[in-house]
Formats: sequence, structure tokens, C-alpha cells
Amino acid sequence: MHPISPIRLLQCLLLLLGLTLGWMSVAGERGPVIPKGKGDRCVADTDFMRRNHMDLIVHQRDETVIRGIRDEPFSLVECVDCHAQRDANNEPIRVDAEGQFCASCHTFVAAKIDCFGCHAAVPDGEDQERADGGHWLPNKQLAAFRPHKAAPLKSSVRSTVSSDHDELSSDASE
Amino acid sequence: MIDHLRYSTLKPSRLSYFLVLLFCAVFVGIGGYSALTMEHAGHIITGMNNHIVWGLPHVFAVSLIVAASGALNGASLASVFGVSHYKPIARLSVALAMSLLVGGLLVLVLDLGRPDRLIVAMTTYNFRSIFSWNIFLYTGFLVIGAWYLWMMLEKRFNRYTLLAGRIAFAWRIVLTTGTGCIFGFLVGRNALDSALLAPLFVALSLVMGTAVSVLVMIMLDRWRSVLIDKQLLDSLQRLLVWFLLALLYFSVVHHITNLYVSEHHDVERYMLLGGLSLTFWLGHIVIGVLLPLSLLVFRSASVSDCKRLAISSLLGLLGGSALLYVVIIGSQSTPQDLFPGKTVLASTFGDAGFPAYQPSVWEWGLGFGGVALAMLLCLLLLRILPLLPELRASLTASPE
Amino acid sequence: MLPNKAQAARRLFLQRLGVFSAATALPALLSSTVDAQSSTKGVSSAQRWGLLIDTSKCASGCDACVRGCHEEHGINSTGNEHTDAQWIRKIDLQNNLSGQKSSLPMMCQHCESAPCVDVCPTGASFKRADGIVLVNKHTCIGCRYCVMACPYKARSFIHEPISDQKSWAPRGQGTVESCTLCVHRIDAEKDQQPACAVACTDEAHSAILFGDLNDPDSDIVKAMANQPASQVRSDLQLNTGVRYVKL
Repeated sequence: MHPISPIRLLQCLLLLLGLTLGWMSVAGERGPVIPKGKGDRCVADTDFMRRNHMDLIVHQRDETVIRGIRDEPFSLVECVDCHAQRDANNEPIRVDAEGQFCASCHTFVAAKIDCFGCHAAVPDGEDQERADGGHWLPNKQLAAFRPHKAAPLKSSVRSTVSSDHDELSSDASE
Repeated sequence: MIDHLRYSTLKPSRLSYFLVLLFCAVFVGIGGYSALTMEHAGHIITGMNNHIVWGLPHVFAVSLIVAASGALNGASLASVFGVSHYKPIARLSVALAMSLLVGGLLVLVLDLGRPDRLIVAMTTYNFRSIFSWNIFLYTGFLVIGAWYLWMMLEKRFNRYTLLAGRIAFAWRIVLTTGTGCIFGFLVGRNALDSALLAPLFVALSLVMGTAVSVLVMIMLDRWRSVLIDKQLLDSLQRLLVWFLLALLYFSVVHHITNLYVSEHHDVERYMLLGGLSLTFWLGHIVIGVLLPLSLLVFRSASVSDCKRLAISSLLGLLGGSALLYVVIIGSQSTPQDLFPGKTVLASTFGDAGFPAYQPSVWEWGLGFGGVALAMLLCLLLLRILPLLPELRASLTASPE
Repeated sequence: MLPNKAQAARRLFLQRLGVFSAATALPALLSSTVDAQSSTKGVSSAQRWGLLIDTSKCASGCDACVRGCHEEHGINSTGNEHTDAQWIRKIDLQNNLSGQKSSLPMMCQHCESAPCVDVCPTGASFKRADGIVLVNKHTCIGCRYCVMACPYKARSFIHEPISDQKSWAPRGQGTVESCTLCVHRIDAEKDQQPACAVACTDEAHSAILFGDLNDPDSDIVKAMANQPASQVRSDLQLNTGVRYVKL
């Protein structure tokens, strides 16, 4: 056996130190705390929304800007409507403010949001109760979204769609 | 034929080399800081507004881009036109052209409202837009330049130098025409609506490119204690005369056209007699054309060829930038005439004339940052690639 | 019975006829399905929205349309008219010969061959199927070439950060914007009018008439049949969607 060079030893120690520090920095975190939106549910399954909301928004954005289709459930206005919280004075809080719906996750994963430099981050007008969280999107419609020009659903995402929405799962496995 | 030329990299020998390096680095830093500040605060901190939407950064950027195309002259003359005394500066000329283009493009990009969306500009194209063509012309120029340089550097590929040189020559003419057309095809602007801007820009590129090449060449030869080839000096002086005459010719024709067309009178008056008259007459005509022309034509014996050429080049550069300032700022400085035969009594947004443009310190910072970056890039290329001829010393061995 | 040769020739002729008719019918068939699709959802080229502005009804000193537009789109003045967004502006004119004075609002003319659409490098400046010229701010890089190209000075670059936008009118720093012909209203419901037209009517001037230029029965086309309407800078032949009476 040949002796370990001091340089190599130092390198190993530094690597160990780096790994320890890195682990310590994330160990305390439990992930972002996301404020709950209005109603019981979002326009689609939570798992699906977490993975695909950006594609849905981009898809809807092109539909709206270019083809003038504005009454669809995936519009950013609808997002803000349901997910903006209210402060003690019942004033709406920006969804991109610290700890709020969009910012909590996006800060955690360090992904910049480019929406609210232009778009309103608070709902217009009075606070309206929403029992069902607005439209529930039929799975058939979700499937129809897939072949369109926006990014296709990734296979890993499909498999994680919860099993109580069978229709979506079967669509995804085709 | 000077086939036995040997090339080497630039060796740091003088203090001035490090000073220039430091100077450039500082200005690149200033430019970067200006760009960041502009992106954060918005264009509100510049002198630009909704009348003058293209300001000083565009003058810098277009100057650099136009000079880049012209800087290729040395290489074109050597490989395409076979003028042998240009061969020693052929490699330098390509490296300089590429550096200047990168500097200019960076200024252009950092002056965008959303520079973070550059990826959009590189992935979505509208082919009716001359701007889109120019994106291809610029990137193409860099690719062809790199290829050209490679063919010159690698001995076994030397036989392709002529081909590369021809393609590069054609490409740069198209590139400058394209840059001119960005301005020339704007039907809504009376000062610009003319295809004459394309040849004007080509002539301008020849003047500015030659001028930059001369200054860089003289600087490098000072550092390396090399005397410049007398033949080359002579040829460059004669060339610059012709280029300056061509520039003056197209400039005069452009303005005569505008003076002839009565709907262009207002903007002509502004450029020739109004707010920009000093920049036009003193900057473009006197400093930029007449002074260097008279220096180069009536060669005074008391000034050395090298000094005369350096001074004329410096003047040509200043004058060229002044002309671009008049073209870019001047064209936006007068109201667009929407109602012929009617006088605008009042308008909530300056249809009857509006305040002059005053560039802010951030615009100067960004502009000079681009120039410094081009310089720095060129020095870097010279430092890592054998672009400078070793034999020039022996060619001009006679001590002064 | 025909000789073999003639029979072969006839067969060839019939074959070619079949191919030819199929080839001619196919595009028509395709386009009809596309039309059917676009008419059910989204904008369609069956309409072309436009404005007719009667300068004789427009009052000098009245800026109701400008205020209406600004309120609708959340455009707040910063006090600097040179850097503020200017979607619509009022201009007072005097005829050099007759001395006759007139007043009119000027905004994006929604040209059919729009110079701003031509020059935009990314295609962010675009014309919708129904003729409305818009900026897709998601792909606008803020190069301002469209501002340079617009003959009407109808476009504005946003020079500073903006807050308190309306949910229906996203606006932000570093992009270019202009009159949208209140596209959010037109898309939302039938028979909606742009904010400027509503404001003008509320002021009892009714100088701005909005409608479908492709519909021969629309008020705007009927009004244009009654009195000659002209385009600003008609020399450029841009076929503007905004026309002026008694210009």
C-alpha cells in the first residue's frame, strides 16, 4: 500500500466538509409552505398542476393573445383570483410577495417568475367566494391539451397522477 | 510574395500594454455596471424617451458594427485582391473585425428593453424584418471570420484562404448594406426613408474600419518596437483618401435628395441648420472628411507618414460617429409629419416639436464599455493566437 | 367499341380530370374546415375591426377619449409626457390655406400592412386575424424598431417599472405597447365598444364610431358610405383600420 499524499487527504477533507455543509443547509428545510387557495380544489389535480402549470399558462397565453380566447380556465387571472390571500384589512396580497402562493415555491426552487412584471398580481374588485375553486377541468380536456404545441406531458409526470382519476391515468398511458 | 512570413503571439513588453489592458478592463466594468443599472431601473435613467427611442448606445453599436465590417479591409486586400503588402496585417484585420462586431452587438443587446429575452430573439424570427436578417448576417460574419482565420492559421488549409476571403468579402458588403437598410427602409421617417443609406453605410464602414485598423496597427507596432512597412503606410493613406471621398459623395447625394423632396425639408433643416448642425458640419464634414482629406492629400513634410495617418484615422473615426449621431438621432428629432398642409396647433404628445436629446452618463458608460470590450477581445486574440508577423522588423529594418 | 388506342387516351384523360378536380377541390375543402374551426372559437378574419372618427364632432380641448383609455388600461401619468405611455393623443390642427381648425384623436391605426409588424424581429408585433395590431409582450425584447417604423408615432416604450396593472391590461417595463382597440372588451362580449368610443359618447360628442369594416350592414360601413372618410398618410397605402371624416 502506498501512503496517501497530504494533498489528496486535504481534498477529501474539503469534499467531506462541503457535503456536510450542503446537507446541513437543506436538512432543516421542509420545503415551501404554500397558502391554500379558495375552494376545495384547483382546475386540475394538484400533482398535475404542480408539474404542468407553466405549460398550461404558456398554452393559454398564446391562445389568448393571438386567438383572442379569454374564457378558458387556465388563464393567469383565474390563478391569481383563487390563490391571492387577503391581509387583516381584507386587502389582497400579491401572489409573488414573500411566502405567498407563487413566491413560496419559486423562491424554494430558485426559479424566477416573469409574469408579474406586467400582469396584475392581485385580483380585481371584491373578494368572491368560490366553493369549487372555479372550473374543474374534465380530464378529456386535459388530454386534448397534450397534443397541442405546448410542451408535452412528461412520462414521469403521467405516472405520478393519482389513481383516483382513472380517466387521466388511462389517457396518459396510451 | 511574402510566403516566408512567420507569425507570433503578442508578447507583453511595455508598461503601456498593461495600462491599455487595465484601462479597457475598467471601462468594460463601467459598461457592465451601466447595463445592469439600466436594466434594473429601466430606460428612464437614460436620455431616451418616446420621441428619441434609439439613443447614444445605438450610435456606439452601429459605429462598432460598421467599423467591424470595414476592419476586414486588410484581409480582403491581401487575399481577395492579392495586394502583397497587406498580407502581414491580414490575420490582425480579421481578429479585429470579429472583436469590434462582438463589442457592437453587446451594446445593442444590452440596450434592449428586455436583454434577458435574448434567447427569444435567437429562436423566433420574423423574416420580413431586416433586423432578423441582420441577426443572421452578424452571427454569420463571426462564423465566417473564425473560419477565415483558421484557414490562414493552419498551413495545410492555406489554399482555402482565397475562398474564405472571397466569402468574407461578399458577406461584409451584404452586412453593411443590411445595417444601412435597418435605417433606410423606415417609410415613416422622412430623414431615413432612402435606400441611399445602404451605400452610405458601406462607404462609412470603409472609412471607420480602415481608421480603426490603422490605429490598432500603430499601437501594436509601437509596443513591439517595429517600424511599419513604408509601402503599406503609403497604400493606406491613398486608400483612406478614396474612402473619405466616397463617404462625402454619398453623404452629399443623400442630403441633396432630401433637399429636393419638399416633404423632407423640415428634417433637413434640423440637421443642417438646427439642433444638430454643429455635429453635422463640424463633426461630420470638417473633422470627419475635410480635415483628414487635406492632411492626406497635401502631405506636409514636417509630419511623418505614420503620424499623419494616425491623426487622419482618429479624425475619420470621430467624424464617422458624428455622422451616425446625425443619422440616428437627427432622424428622430423632428416631428413626423402626419398632416401635410396643416399646422399642428397643440398636441398632448409633441407633434409640434419636442425637446432635444441629452444622453445620460449610463449611455456613455455602456457605449464606451462596448468599445473597451472590443479592444480587450482583440488583445486577447492577439495574445493567444499567432496573428502578428515577426518579419516586419526586417522588412523595414532601416532605422529612422 | 372504340379502338384500343382511343380507349387508353380516354382513360388517361378521365384519370387526369379526376386528379385535377381533386387537386382543386382539396384546398377549398381544407380551408372550409379551417374556417369552420376558427368561427367556433377565437378571432376570425370574417371581421375587421375599425374606427371611424368624425373630426367635425371632436372638440378641441376635450380629452375624454384619452382619459377613458388611460383609466381602462391603468395608465398613470408620472408627470413626464415624453416617457409616459401614449396610446392615444389629441391633436389640434389648422389648415394652412383656409385657416380652418380641427381636432382629432390619434392612436394606432391598425394598418392592414403594418410597418411595425414587418420590422419586428421576433414577430411580437403582430396582426390578429380580425385586423387588430397588437404587441405580444411575452416575446417583445424591447428593441424599439417598431417605434421607429410606425408612421403615426402610436407606439410607446415603457421606460420604468409599472405597478397596479389591471388584470385585463398587462403592461410592463422594457416592452413596447400601443392601442389594443380594447381587445379584451371585444373578445369578452358582443357589441362592446372600446373605452375611447364610450368616453366620447358619454361626453355627448359621439365622434368615435367602432365597428366591423367587413360587415356591409354595420353602422361604421354605412357611415363611411354617406361621407368620404380618409386615411392619415394615405400616401403610404397601409390600408388603415382607423379612418377620419373631414380630415
